[in-house]
Amino acid sequence: MRVKFTLALSDRPGVLLKALEQIAINGGNIISIIHRRDSITSGYVPVSINVEFPDSASLERAKKGIESSGIPVIEAETLEKAICTIILIGGVKIEDLLGRVHEMESRIAEISMTGGLTSPCIKAVIEAPSDKLSALLKSLEDFAEKQGALLITEG
Amino acid sequence: MLRCVIIGYGFLGKRLAKLLAAGAVEGVKLVGVASSKGYIYEESGLTLVDLPDELQSSRALKPSPAIELIDRGLTDLLVELTPTNIRDGEPGLSHIKLALEHGIDVVTANKGPIALAYDELMELAEETGSMLLHEATVGGGIPLISLKNRCLAADELLSIKGILNGTTNYILSRMHFEEMTLELALREAQMLGIAERDPTLDLEGIDTALKLVILANSLMNAGKKLSDVKIKGITGITSEAIAAAKESGMTIKLIGTADENGLRVAPKLVRLNDPICVHGTLNAVSFNFKILRRLTIIGEGAGESTISALLNDIYEVVKARARSSRT
Repeated sequence: MRVKFTLALSDRPGVLLKALEQIAINGGNIISIIHRRDSITSGYVPVSINVEFPDSASLERAKKGIESSGIPVIEAETLEKAICTIILIGGVKIEDLLGRVHEMESRIAEISMTGGLTSPCIKAVIEAPSDKLSALLKSLEDFAEKQGALLITEG
Repeated sequence: MLRCVIIGYGFLGKRLAKLLAAGAVEGVKLVGVASSKGYIYEESGLTLVDLPDELQSSRALKPSPAIELIDRGLTDLLVELTPTNIRDGEPGLSHIKLALEHGIDVVTANKGPIALAYDELMELAEETGSMLLHEATVGGGIPLISLKNRCLAADELLSIKGILNGTTNYILSRMHFEEMTLELALREAQMLGIAERDPTLDLEGIDTALKLVILANSLMNAGKKLSDVKIKGITGITSEAIAAAKESGMTIKLIGTADENGLRVAPKLVRLNDPICVHGTLNAVSFNFKILRRLTIIGEGAGESTISALLNDIYEVVKARARSSRT
């Protein structure tokens, strides 16, 4: 899985190396580093590092390792997206559905509704971070059950 | 010559009896057939003329319970084909237990006893040195259990996913291709004899769940019960949902899944080019093995094809007994 780390490095020699060591010992393969010395703020330099990790557990270990070295991790964004189609049969509020999707840092790429009020059917194509897809589908399952709707996912 | 008795004289029982009486499996002599009305028995072997359409019309009918055939030591091989009862597995469960206790080999297509008491029955078979074969309980004639246990025994089965119920697959296929409503497709299936008059077990996903429990227990040693399966049926599927799936190059199928997250049955979106996406009354099962990876097998999951699985299990018993008598 590919991840973009945004770190706040204090402007001292060797700090970047400490962060890179934590990534390397946890199996991360560094793809690129952007060191933005032009955006230095209060002695901190924002650095973006794109890394390929074998799995989410190694990402979590690297993140903890960087933080325990005293380097703040501003963001660890999963760059790989999973796309899945869902169908919801039954009346649900679209804004509630959107809310559930956004809670999981995901978005609805396409949505359509058929059947009118008598037999409502929503089809949505959802784009989610790969590591959050199963949690999102579980959350949508609970949502559908509470609303008395039937959720059909790919499988 | 193994003396064989069939208990259950319905669709499968009648057809199998005729085949065995005509000598379909060498080394097997059909000596008795039984139904809830009683049994007919002939020590020298029943012939085709001895087998009526309805047992009660036979002058040889003895109006006694079928268990007499087991209790009195009149058989070496029981083929148990009474109707599936998902509440307590009876009367099939008692027939199978009694036979195994007497060291009699059993072949069955009855899902109830195998889904409800698999571990207990297998332990009993092991204790008494008898065989219990049940290929015909899942997927009709598709060799699912023998495929894993004989051809892929050394590989590890990680998950099972499949369409295991021909009735619901027929209904969903008609909704997809003919744009029928579920009610209309169900009525058509009932008229064609594909769906039962009371289709609850099929539509609610319970039949699929029973088969999934049997597969998971016999192929993955899962130790699961029917109550462990999370079940959603197809009664809520609308024409609008099928049309929406179709627009995206998919359709809706009732899928049973067994994996590290447990056992579940639910309607799922399936891509039309997925090998599991079969139509009509066909069944399809995808196994995921540790080394082999994905293997999909497709075939008729009910009716006449089930006879093929029963004959093969009977043949396996004959082969095993011939081997053990030589050693």
